[in-house]
Amino acid sequence: MPKPKVAMYWLAGCGGCEESILDLGVDLLALTDRADIVFWPIAMDAKYRELDPLPDNSIDVVLINGAVRDEAQERMARLLRRKSKTVIAHGICAQAGGVPGLAGFHGRDKILQRAYQEVPSLESGGLPQAETQTDHARLRLPSLRESLVPLDRVIAVDYYLPGCPPPPELVKEALFNALDGELPERGSVLAESVALCRTCPRLASKPDTIHLKRFHRLYEVRWDPDRCFLEQGLICLGPATRGGCGAQCLKANMPCRGCFGPLDNVSDMGARVVAMLATLLDETDPEKLENIAAGVPDPAGLFYRYTLAASIIKRR
Amino acid sequence: MTGTEFEPKIVGFFCQWCADAAADAAGRARIALPPNLRVVRIMCSGRVAPEFILQAFAAGADGVLVAGCLDGNCHYKNGNVTALKRMAVLKTVLTPLGIDSERVRRVGIGADDAKGLARVVSDLVETVRRLGPQPRSE
Amino acid sequence: MVLCGRDWAIIDLLMENMKGDIANREVLPASPEKSRTPARIGVYICECGPNIKGALDMDRLIDSASTQDGVVSVSAFPLLCSAEGRKFIVEEIDTHHLNRVVIGACSSREHGQTFKETLTDAGLNPYLLQQANIREQCAWVTPDTELATRKAGTLLRAAVERVKGHQPLEEKSIACRTDVLVVGAGVAGISAALTLAQDQRIVYLAEKAACIGGHAACYENWFPDTSCAACEVSPWLDKVLHHENIKVLTLGEVEAVLGYWGNFTVRVRKKARYIDENACLGCGACMDACPVTVPDEHNMNLDTRKAVYIPYDGSLPNIAVIDPDHCLRFKGGTCSACRDACSFNAVDYQQEAETLSLEVGAVVLATGFDMFDPRLAPRYGYDDINEVYTALEFERMLNPGGPTGGEIRMKSGDTPRRIALIHCVGSRSEVHHGHCSGVCCAYLLKYAQQIHEQIPGAGVEQMVVDICLPGKTSNQLLLKTQALPGHRFRRMRQPDAIELTQGPDGISVVYVEETGQQAEVSVDMAVLAPAMIGAAGARGLGELFEIERDENGFWSQPSALSSPVTTRTDGVFVAGCGQGPMDISQAVAQGQAVAGCVLQTLIPGKQLPLEVMAAVIDDTRCSGCKACLSACEFGAIDYDNAGLKASVNPLLCRACGICAVACPSGAISSGHDTDLALSAEIEGLLKNDRD
Repeated sequence: MPKPKVAMYWLAGCGGCEESILDLGVDLLALTDRADIVFWPIAMDAKYRELDPLPDNSIDVVLINGAVRDEAQERMARLLRRKSKTVIAHGICAQAGGVPGLAGFHGRDKILQRAYQEVPSLESGGLPQAETQTDHARLRLPSLRESLVPLDRVIAVDYYLPGCPPPPELVKEALFNALDGELPERGSVLAESVALCRTCPRLASKPDTIHLKRFHRLYEVRWDPDRCFLEQGLICLGPATRGGCGAQCLKANMPCRGCFGPLDNVSDMGARVVAMLATLLDETDPEKLENIAAGVPDPAGLFYRYTLAASIIKRR
Repeated sequence: MTGTEFEPKIVGFFCQWCADAAADAAGRARIALPPNLRVVRIMCSGRVAPEFILQAFAAGADGVLVAGCLDGNCHYKNGNVTALKRMAVLKTVLTPLGIDSERVRRVGIGADDAKGLARVVSDLVETVRRLGPQPRSE
Repeated sequence: MVLCGRDWAIIDLLMENMKGDIANREVLPASPEKSRTPARIGVYICECGPNIKGALDMDRLIDSASTQDGVVSVSAFPLLCSAEGRKFIVEEIDTHHLNRVVIGACSSREHGQTFKETLTDAGLNPYLLQQANIREQCAWVTPDTELATRKAGTLLRAAVERVKGHQPLEEKSIACRTDVLVVGAGVAGISAALTLAQDQRIVYLAEKAACIGGHAACYENWFPDTSCAACEVSPWLDKVLHHENIKVLTLGEVEAVLGYWGNFTVRVRKKARYIDENACLGCGACMDACPVTVPDEHNMNLDTRKAVYIPYDGSLPNIAVIDPDHCLRFKGGTCSACRDACSFNAVDYQQEAETLSLEVGAVVLATGFDMFDPRLAPRYGYDDINEVYTALEFERMLNPGGPTGGEIRMKSGDTPRRIALIHCVGSRSEVHHGHCSGVCCAYLLKYAQQIHEQIPGAGVEQMVVDICLPGKTSNQLLLKTQALPGHRFRRMRQPDAIELTQGPDGISVVYVEETGQQAEVSVDMAVLAPAMIGAAGARGLGELFEIERDENGFWSQPSALSSPVTTRTDGVFVAGCGQGPMDISQAVAQGQAVAGCVLQTLIPGKQLPLEVMAAVIDDTRCSGCKACLSACEFGAIDYDNAGLKASVNPLLCRACGICAVACPSGAISSGHDTDLALSAEIEGLLKNDRD
């Protein structure tokens, strides 16, 4: 019996998710024992034309990382969907847009203008053109979409593997469970089903109720590494973020920024964070409340750090 | 609605104890309310999740009015204050999300203050009319 | 379990007492389950006579509702709330096997209950209903038929979308305790206790003093008719003391409380009296023998009592009490004079404080008032001038059991010829309290009568800003008083515009007249009417029961006008002058009002219904982050420190849904106000806006 086929691909993202596969280490060898890796451009030479002739549904599992920003990525996503039985959105960019999704605060034209005209280190000032005629050929660049979208806005996604990037243990579990046919219900997120707070080593220090007069930035206070960040007025998204990361940031004395995305019942992570943080404020005067809120640097960028592209407003 | 003129759609989240009672009072007194208003009746203005407000805009609303009890009159002690807190934090993300924060208003309305309610709604309708339709990416 | 109060040290003790009751919670079966998908929705539009039919295009409404997914039947009916209308809905539910119903009609405030009952009649859970308010909030506020029809269509569509998300809700109830604790045995507390006490109901009446009756028992005469106070009060006190369903706990103070409406456990500490209550006859032999003399606070320190004493002649219960702060025995001495003098072996120096754990369904705080301390306003000369008295001191002076045997007499022993009665001391003031105590004018007029009776022809100077005499008989007192010889009203510009100093010839009262002119009058004695303010001693109770007090020390209430005796804490009521300044009849009425509120709900053998929309936490989604604990205003969330999960106590939950918004895991829903149902309604309100 032939070995099952596995593929990996990188769309709009930083490449950290690819690292998370390499971080499997010796388990990567176990993977190659169990399956044939038929397409993995970052590790093995591969061409688009090699993928295209494969029969539909001939790949058993594909891990696609990164979101969809341009038309080439969209085409590759569709192609991989057609060739694969199971598509796993690998990492928070594929799942919810991730950090590249923050570009959604601005339109495409503004981003191009910034990147190609306003950046101080640039001289040219020309915007990239969709088509360029050289002496020999007519060259086409894939055009940018108006906004970046998560993978499931372009193709059907079977599973989500959250994180920035997902820890290798979760990647391994997802891959091997997929090969063993032991994945849960389609549509599931392959991590814990409760928020990070549950596994946070600081939970025991969290008081029953929190009453904040203001939010602090990390550099402003000397914080107690054993106590709940929120209780100390430091914004931590742990209560609103899916668990499964192993609380690595918290153990390194940094508050959670939400890279595992929201819980199942939450339709807009940023909005949930707004409601949760506001509930902890100990102030009733409208003006003072506005001052407290204004003390959060880049609130939208913080509350929607990894999920803007999947937010209620942006996903329409 | 006459032809081409922009008629804002306003979603109201009205607490059942005061704001919704005031809307009923307007009816009994036959005080006209702008037909732009569509009300979701909730237990308390503190039940209004920020998602609901965003969802209303995403679904086609041009303005949102969160109306609860007057200060100190909340049936649930401080639900209206909680709504106030959430509104203060929500407003920090509205502009980046492309929603003018003038389109969202939180008020306290006495249960019998039909005229006050009519004034608040008309004022929001006019504000939103001036701002124009909420831009949507589609 | 939720602690209402802050004495953590005793939680365990109280918890022990409560365990039995939670198991008593009984669940009524929900109606037969007809809510299964797919939705089969009936939409019924009430014509409401011409009210709706005349304002909307009914045919168009029926057409647009008929096209919606899940809708299997749509009809208009002349009057849905009528018997015929209800019968029609029941038949429709039956005929079309409906599992959800949308009613387009009046406000659910009007007939929400009617239609719920109609669903129940049809065997459908009453919460599988959504009512669209197309009358008050549409037909009646939208003059243009076209616009009104469009809006009604939108509201109906949203209701249909929303009702799809409704699930049947269970109506639950819990066994409750019918006994009641009344704190404070003044007239309000006594009135509450007497009205509440009945078969199958014990009333505990806790009073921190050694005797019951409160302030009113100290007065000689009551206004407006200067009737004999003792004649009215004594029979009440007697009845309270001998009522088999009232347990009087003198020297009793509330220390801690745990629980909720219907199920409180209250810890009351009953201080030692050092006298066996069952043995003492109140003969007074011990008092005669006691060698220690101390100022008598009951007589406003105007005379003295012994270290073992009965508060005043006729005070009830008629039992002595030892004051351990002054008794030689408790100061390390060996005196046993009182014990030796007692023929009934009632003196017990070893007696210890007793702690009682009371299980009650409701608590009444009848904590009474204090008077504004005139020392805080030196202009009245209360500290410096011998013959300046407060109203309570003057009451004792008028009382035959008081320091002067009921005679109006100066400290020199002489009879005063001119007396100033000073209104609004610290009340209606720009610097002290802003409120009007409402009773002072009447009792100062009463004093004028009493002075006149004792000292005919005495000059009485009423130093007044305005006269406040509400009620059906008080004005008689004014007419009667005005006719007295020597009685005069002197009008001050405002309450603070007065100053008393000791002159060579008596007390000089200098004040500013209405005209702005300064004036002076000289008197032998002055009686101050200080503001009534909430008793300072009740502050701790406010913290225990989580009830705030206003700037004048009165209990703050969510709706003092419409529910003057209820508080923000369910099952905790207030009555009497702790609630606000009032006269005796009002305090009695409040005591009776409280009894009504309690009797209405805590019925022997009946269960207390629970909030049907109470929040529920999905414990498979709860991370234990505690955000809901910060959100809940009612202490209704229990936290399991071992399992790291929160859960809602349905007995305390009021279903506001604030916690559901705060929960960053989306693990909380409140009745059928789920995020999904509300989202569906929002979408319904905005979708496809052409009807």
